[in-house]
Amino acid sequence: MLSSNYNLSSLQTKVAAMPRLGLGLGLRHVHFDHIQQSWPAVDWFEAISENFMFSEGRPRHVIRQLAERYPVVLHGVSLSIGSSTPLDFHYLSALKTLASEINPPWVSDHLCWTGVLGLNTHDLLPLPLTEEAFWNTAERVRIVQDFLERPLILENPSTYLSFTHSTISEPEFLSNLVAETGCGLLLDVNNVYVTCFNSGLDPVDYIEALPHDKVVQMHLAGHQHCGTHIVDTHDRPVLPQVWELFRLAWQRTGGVSTLLEWDGNIPSFEECLAELYKARNFMGSAIPNFVPDFERHLVEKSPAQSTPIDFMVSPVMAHAELL
Amino acid sequence: MENREYSLGQIQAWMQEMLVFSGASSNTKAETPLHVAPSNTLSAEQRLAIYQRGYLARLLQCLEGQYKALCHALGKDLFDDFAREYLLSFPSGSPTLAVLGERFPAYLEETRPDKEQAEKEPWVDFMVDLARFEWNLYLSFDAPGHEGQAYATPDDRDQSLRLQPCFFLSAYRFPVSAYYQGVADGEDPAIPQASAHFVAIARKNYRIGISALTAPQYTFLEAFQKCDNLAQTISQTAQTYERTESAVEDAWANWKKGWIEAGFFISTSPTPPSSAESPPSIAPQKQHN
Repeated sequence: MLSSNYNLSSLQTKVAAMPRLGLGLGLRHVHFDHIQQSWPAVDWFEAISENFMFSEGRPRHVIRQLAERYPVVLHGVSLSIGSSTPLDFHYLSALKTLASEINPPWVSDHLCWTGVLGLNTHDLLPLPLTEEAFWNTAERVRIVQDFLERPLILENPSTYLSFTHSTISEPEFLSNLVAETGCGLLLDVNNVYVTCFNSGLDPVDYIEALPHDKVVQMHLAGHQHCGTHIVDTHDRPVLPQVWELFRLAWQRTGGVSTLLEWDGNIPSFEECLAELYKARNFMGSAIPNFVPDFERHLVEKSPAQSTPIDFMVSPVMAHAELL
Repeated sequence: MENREYSLGQIQAWMQEMLVFSGASSNTKAETPLHVAPSNTLSAEQRLAIYQRGYLARLLQCLEGQYKALCHALGKDLFDDFAREYLLSFPSGSPTLAVLGERFPAYLEETRPDKEQAEKEPWVDFMVDLARFEWNLYLSFDAPGHEGQAYATPDDRDQSLRLQPCFFLSAYRFPVSAYYQGVADGEDPAIPQASAHFVAIARKNYRIGISALTAPQYTFLEAFQKCDNLAQTISQTAQTYERTESAVEDAWANWKKGWIEAGFFISTSPTPPSSAESPPSIAPQKQHN
């Protein structure tokens, strides 16, 4: 059990009070100019924390400006909450400083680990879902929440393998984590689809097993079907079956803040927005029509890049000129 | 299957080694079925390979982005060969990808293919210099700067001028800045001939300006960067080039306007444009214009 003075109910209250922000877009540097020139009518943005927390240049300037006009949620990829080696308090300090500057509605990261023993793979690696991993993660969530002085929102990752050591299902792991620590959930509907295909699970069962009242946000994104497996590429429109799964998730969660991620082959801001607004077609009361027919997809043989990071590399060449 | 329990730390250390070092030992590789369950369509090894491919592809993509001109110069295949070896020697230990390529220029120098040769290959020098130049540019993008505050103007007193925080000064053996600009403009520039090349990089209002310098200009700015004192800088430059201080003052007067426009300087006591006071100057007023 966690320490007795841990203020679980306060965290739960904060999670329950988190606002419903509407439909948002992932903030990507290729769209900075457009956003700053036109201040488009979008409900909210989600920024990759690491793209801004270590910058003292334009990215930091842009996120401060945006935060004056839009809700901006911070979404991390390097917290490594499931790692077996100590938390990085330099990282946490930088995250807390950024959060104090832009006052995000919430701060999120992934149920994963990114590295151990001083290394970082820059991937969202799957956890062996064991009792040991659960208690290790729960303790670290508690420490992070204490340090940041806010609940942590954790996302289900896309996974391509499962461990022989696992004894707990991922929805059960997440549900228990929420109950034990007071953290909230970011339900990535596409990740559910990807993980379930890759592990032979039913995505509807997965979503039904979650504590829906603790979900504060949803993610949508595109993926690539490779025949034997699916890769979470974030480089194309959301696929029809994921939209159907979103319809179910929308009904179960009561319609929480929803965000489109597009990280590879990023189209114009307007095209991203048009894709995001397709979500409105799946917010009604129609009965979800999800059929777990994974084979309906077009299979692609081209190499698929999971967790794309191209959008995280600073666009230096576009901002440098010979005088 | 071996019936033993593995700790979380053991499992994660194993998987990380399989990703970062592609399973350096055969024992590590042989453990795959102990840790990873097969799916209906893929073996344990095939499932792990998705992460292995992703790890390398992702970080190569990052380095290609941080060294775009170098990647162009070497060609993607050769660049990736160097980058793969670099990642084995210096896997990332940072939560941010922004520093992934930090040691790449030094790595290229240390592992240069002509290391054992008495006579060095010029193209290797060029690649190392280009890498150094690109890394300075990359640093300038996110470095602390002076945005949000006033840069120096021609009206500011000389003695109040200081180099701004986001300022990088470097000397190269090849004209790397012109090559870089060619690649940025979508051209396929030829590898240039060796010639001493001096560059100042200054970020002003979030635009990164690249200024090619003459050798005396470089000497002058290098001295100024070290001592932060204009009179001393002029004296040192005069000594280096065996010129009178007056001659260097004249030269400084010619250089100053362009450098102020490029955002090299801030002022410790900015002078309002409307000030009636005529500030003392070490250079003739007419040459400020």
